[in-house]
Amino acid sequence: MPQKVMEWLLNNWLGLSVPIIVFIASIVVSIWLRKRLFNYLERVLSQIRWEEKKTFLDKTKTPFLQWCIILGAYISIQLSPLPLSLKIFFGKILSSFFILSLTWIIIILLEKILHIYLKKMDLFPSNTTTIIINGLKVAFLVVAILIMLDLWGMPITPFIFILFIIIFFAVFTARDEIINIFSGFELARNSLIKTGNYLKLESGEEGYIIEITKTNMHIKTLDGKILLIPNSRMLRSVVTIISKPLKQATQPFRFYTRLHLKELTGLKATNIYELVDILKKVDDAVIYYHTHNFIEEFQYLTPQPANDFALWVSDALGDQVLGEKLSNIDTFEFSTIGALRERIIDVIQDEVAKRKDINNAPYGREFHFIRSISAIVPTSYVTHDLREFIEMLKLVSLDTLYFHIFESRLRLHKGVNDFSIWINDCLGEKALADEIAVLDPYTYTLEGLRSMIISIIEKHLEREYAVG
Amino acid sequence: MDKEATIRSKARLHDYIPLVGRGTIESLYNLAERLSGKTIVNINSTFSGGGVAEILMRMVPLLNQLGVDTRWMVIKGNESFFTVTKKFHNALHGKKEEITPQDYALFLDVSNKNIEEMQITGDILFIHDPQPVTLIKKKGEVGEKWVWRCHIDVSNPDLEVWNFLYQYVVDYDATVFSAPNFARKLPNRQFLIHPSIDPLSDKNRELPKETIESVLNKYNLDMEKPIILQVSRFDYLKDPIGVIDAFEMVRKNIPCQLVLAGGTATDDPESDKVLEEVKERASGNSDIHVLLIPPESDIEINALQRVATIVMQKSIKEGFGLTVTEALWKAKPVVASAVGGIQLQVKNKFTGLLCHSIDGAAYALRLLLSNPEYAQWLGKNGQEHVRQNFLITRHLKDYLLLFHSLYHHQDVVYL
Repeated sequence: MPQKVMEWLLNNWLGLSVPIIVFIASIVVSIWLRKRLFNYLERVLSQIRWEEKKTFLDKTKTPFLQWCIILGAYISIQLSPLPLSLKIFFGKILSSFFILSLTWIIIILLEKILHIYLKKMDLFPSNTTTIIINGLKVAFLVVAILIMLDLWGMPITPFIFILFIIIFFAVFTARDEIINIFSGFELARNSLIKTGNYLKLESGEEGYIIEITKTNMHIKTLDGKILLIPNSRMLRSVVTIISKPLKQATQPFRFYTRLHLKELTGLKATNIYELVDILKKVDDAVIYYHTHNFIEEFQYLTPQPANDFALWVSDALGDQVLGEKLSNIDTFEFSTIGALRERIIDVIQDEVAKRKDINNAPYGREFHFIRSISAIVPTSYVTHDLREFIEMLKLVSLDTLYFHIFESRLRLHKGVNDFSIWINDCLGEKALADEIAVLDPYTYTLEGLRSMIISIIEKHLEREYAVG
Repeated sequence: MDKEATIRSKARLHDYIPLVGRGTIESLYNLAERLSGKTIVNINSTFSGGGVAEILMRMVPLLNQLGVDTRWMVIKGNESFFTVTKKFHNALHGKKEEITPQDYALFLDVSNKNIEEMQITGDILFIHDPQPVTLIKKKGEVGEKWVWRCHIDVSNPDLEVWNFLYQYVVDYDATVFSAPNFARKLPNRQFLIHPSIDPLSDKNRELPKETIESVLNKYNLDMEKPIILQVSRFDYLKDPIGVIDAFEMVRKNIPCQLVLAGGTATDDPESDKVLEEVKERASGNSDIHVLLIPPESDIEINALQRVATIVMQKSIKEGFGLTVTEALWKAKPVVASAVGGIQLQVKNKFTGLLCHSIDGAAYALRLLLSNPEYAQWLGKNGQEHVRQNFLITRHLKDYLLLFHSLYHHQDVVYL
């Protein structure tokens, strides 16, 4: 057998040498040609403002060499002494490789370039863009398969028929989805509805669009429910867009909560002299407790009773005049507990100076000095814009509200409430921040305060973000 | 051997959400999460009977539901031991008791046996009331922090007994009292944690109309007439005769009925005598109903409180006064004496009316019966006041904060 092969080779060496030489020459020429061609293309493309030129050149350079090799191999086979049937057979194989390689490159380029362009044009939501690209990829693949089937002489009619049936059933099964997808295209094309819009449907549902998917819109209602509205329904329905998308904060706001425990100091006063003496000695946590305890313990009362000192002086000592003077101290005026302490002491001392006699509290009604121990704990509520902020403000506990409004301002020495700081610093809404900052929280119940802040922000949103 | 309780509560934490809000329960989980890994061991003298056992029965399962490993153990003691501790209890309340050196010796003998025999493990040891107070001797070998929870008023104690207990109390890392004026000055940290009621217990939960009607029928009460109610054991300190006097002053002009409901204390020989006196004083007045309610009649008490127009607590001396808390929770206008823990609950003219005399009580009753809208406003405020400050969820929060505070000494702590 090897002897026969050797004999055949000796008889056909010339017929074999030519195609081999042609094949090698074609590779050399291909490399040279590719280098020249791509240098030329780089020069030409460098003069064009096309951002995807690098992708194009990178993705086609290697396949171009493959195509040249396939061409060289094809010419070599045609020049070879092989029988005609083999020449046709190898020709078909090489053609198939070429079709597959070309299809592959087209698909890669299509994916890269279309993805970038569709995103830039912002015609469709990202999910829809992916669907379009995948659809085109499948279409090119199907065309390539059909060409190859035709090339190999296989009947393509049954294939097309099966394909048609599959497509028909797929369309029939997913007809609602498809209608929604096309509706999504239409909504996107009009560019009227965007994430963050506050809108109202003719059927009465209303809320903020938090997400637009290929088939539906996620609308968050004011009571926190998520509605999934199919795109087709959005297209058919009369939709009133009430507000524009909201400004996103540069830093999210995390709600904290503050829980407090009472620590006894063991100190007690029986009359106002003792009260003043102890007031001068105790730490800020004690003054803070007795000027803020009522806000928490009696947060439901309107108007809230004054500080503990005023109440004790009136009730236990029966000193209504001093009680009224202490009640009249406006805690909101003070940005430090030290200053507040000084004012309380001054008011008592001024009044005591006018007295000849002072009363002692009856047994069991002494003033017990208590220290406030605060534990500050982060909650899971984090907000990125004013709408979210309102929704979360409705949900957080009164302890949370208390912490950000009262404790942060006075006890943590921030001088202003946390909400105003965030609204100013992270949303740039200075006017709104100031409006909340000047609100005197001591004149509201905590629930009343919550409603007031929500109302101020709602009005701001209406004013600044309403459409029309 | 010591005993350890395995208890399960019917109440789930989520059941409290409609009453106190989701935020409150979330805060509890938040605090509890940060205690993970710590074991809390409660130690008192009994698993049943008395206020401490009642509150632990509810608190321990809820703390465990929150994920805090909480256990409950009791000390062992014979009858003589508990007779001595009962004397201690009375003496700490200021009552004159004859306590002999043999009594102290017996107390120490049983306590030392408990110290030797009890297998205590855990990180935070939460010791309730004087009976197990000497367990602090184990401080060096067990646990990280020791807390003494004093449920009684020690503001005016028999000093001999107090000084005896003081030597143990000072070794604790912290102490806890129920009201500022129940405490004494101590060198260690003292925390203030008020008692609480459980809104889901039989004594406080909402009742079906039929249950309430059946209780009214059982005691022949007239639904058409306003009901003035005082729930308390028959004791001179609760001033039931004073209540009748005040009622009769009001009854002259305003049709109403008085219900005095309570039991007699087995350890108080005077209580039968008080009951007899009350019955005698009430005899001949068909509008006064003296009801001797057996123990464990929580639903009946609940029903009576729910049908009452006004709830009174005209005590001469009072502990915290949880019957007032129960009435406030049911949004009832309350007329109560300005004594003990009542003053923490009833802020005069905001959450109820305080009185200092029989005349004052009568005036307050007349005011409320003639002004039902004002009475309703006070009742509503009272209910909110309890919701914020005296429900078991607040108690849980305070215990969790207490456990955290043992490891921090600043007044503002970031957890």
